[in-house]
Amino acid sequence: MSNQHILSAFDRDLETVQAMVVKMGGMVEAAIHDATTALEMRDEELANDVRKRDKAVDALEEQINHEAARLIALRAPAASDLRVALSVIKISASLERVGDYAKNIAKRSHVLMTMPAINESAGAIRRMSRTVETMLNDAIDSYIQRDAKLAADVRARDIEVDQMYNALFREFLTYMLEDPRNITACMHLHFIAKNVERMGDHATSIAEQVIYLVTGETPDEARPKTESVTAFTTAED
Amino acid sequence: MNDMTLTERAVQASDIKIEARGVQVHYGASHALRDVDVDILGKTVTAFIGPSGCGKSTFLRCLNRMNDTIDICRVGGKILLDGEDIYDRKVDPVQLRAKVGMVFQKPNPFPKSIFDNVAYGPKIHGLTRSRSELEGIVEDSLRKAALWNEVKDRLDAPGTGLSGGQQQRLCIARAIATSPEVLLMDEPCSALDPIATAQVEELIDELRANFSVVIVTHSMQQAARVSQRTAFFHLGSLVEYGETGQIFTNPSDPRTESYITGRIG
Repeated sequence: MSNQHILSAFDRDLETVQAMVVKMGGMVEAAIHDATTALEMRDEELANDVRKRDKAVDALEEQINHEAARLIALRAPAASDLRVALSVIKISASLERVGDYAKNIAKRSHVLMTMPAINESAGAIRRMSRTVETMLNDAIDSYIQRDAKLAADVRARDIEVDQMYNALFREFLTYMLEDPRNITACMHLHFIAKNVERMGDHATSIAEQVIYLVTGETPDEARPKTESVTAFTTAED
Repeated sequence: MNDMTLTERAVQASDIKIEARGVQVHYGASHALRDVDVDILGKTVTAFIGPSGCGKSTFLRCLNRMNDTIDICRVGGKILLDGEDIYDRKVDPVQLRAKVGMVFQKPNPFPKSIFDNVAYGPKIHGLTRSRSELEGIVEDSLRKAALWNEVKDRLDAPGTGLSGGQQQRLCIARAIATSPEVLLMDEPCSALDPIATAQVEELIDELRANFSVVIVTHSMQQAARVSQRTAFFHLGSLVEYGETGQIFTNPSDPRTESYITGRIG
């Protein structure tokens, strides 16, 4: 099958909106990276920068939705073209949420900077967020390459993030029980860990969109999971 | 994928009206249609799509033996209507065409009054015994074709004096006046404006309650709008046949994908 439409303007429209998604992916990856670095390094300036940059991410999502709506209205896309139009809407919504979580991490790290550090936990969160960053990077790569296998791999990796989150949850609980003065910091750290865990879920749902885009079928619900809901842990899907 | 989640689109897949097996068509030396197998369902709109010269109209014309009128045309294979071979020697093509009606690309009303256009079929097939019965059929057909309200006061006016969209609906009324079981439509909207097209499409959807409709169209959007089953023809072969929603969202053959997304096949 030729990849070119007879009407080349249609190709240009599709490429434009997809380039926006890739650009948005890059911006969001950088936001995760910088937010957790700012947290660990107690870098106020960098945290501020992350918060400011989120506006551009939001604006880009709006632009992608607008372009996708135009594409549907003006080009009446079918089959794989239709799936592109639908997937850019969903992927950009996921990326926008990830951007919000990064912004929230930056916001909380401002508060945490005024308190003594809780052992090595900022480092543990940074490591967890690197895993998510790689997942997101691979999800976007699988999107660019139309690689359903890589997307399936990203989807399978979410379990690692859930496990890391559950371990951190237990750790924070221990610190809080040890010394109630840790509660404020640990609650903030817990929300940050939860944000990172949710980012992993969004990377997973982007990977699922890629699978839908490539194969036309939504992957089955069955995906490796930890026993995520116990008395103390509640990692969501 | 589900067989369309919207119940309105649901059809009875076991209700096979026309069964075509290994249909071959030659025009002289050229092989126009190769080995086509299709089950056309009852009370369903089936759309044939494909580029020009792909054989879709040729196949449509096989279904009521319109190809008989072309000397150099040879048709092979089997086409069963309700289990009976329509190419059997016992079958009278004229009777067959009363059961399998046809509407053409350009509206072609007879140069007669609106009433006579519709009454013609029932008259020559001897379907009525009295004038009032005939009048009943004419009114009924015009109503089904969504034309009655526009022409009821001028049934004696010539059919050719109507607008393009009205003429096409008159032709549809004429085609359904003989109570056919299958209605074949070859590009019925290509000469119509968008409003008239929408009216004819609405009509096609209503006709589905009583007839099996087969429509050949160049407009993929039209096929997507009106049909429940779509068949894609290419270079004389049937490439893919399936539920319309599936064909337009996730076709299984790359050639279908190329065609419906507007790529070079």
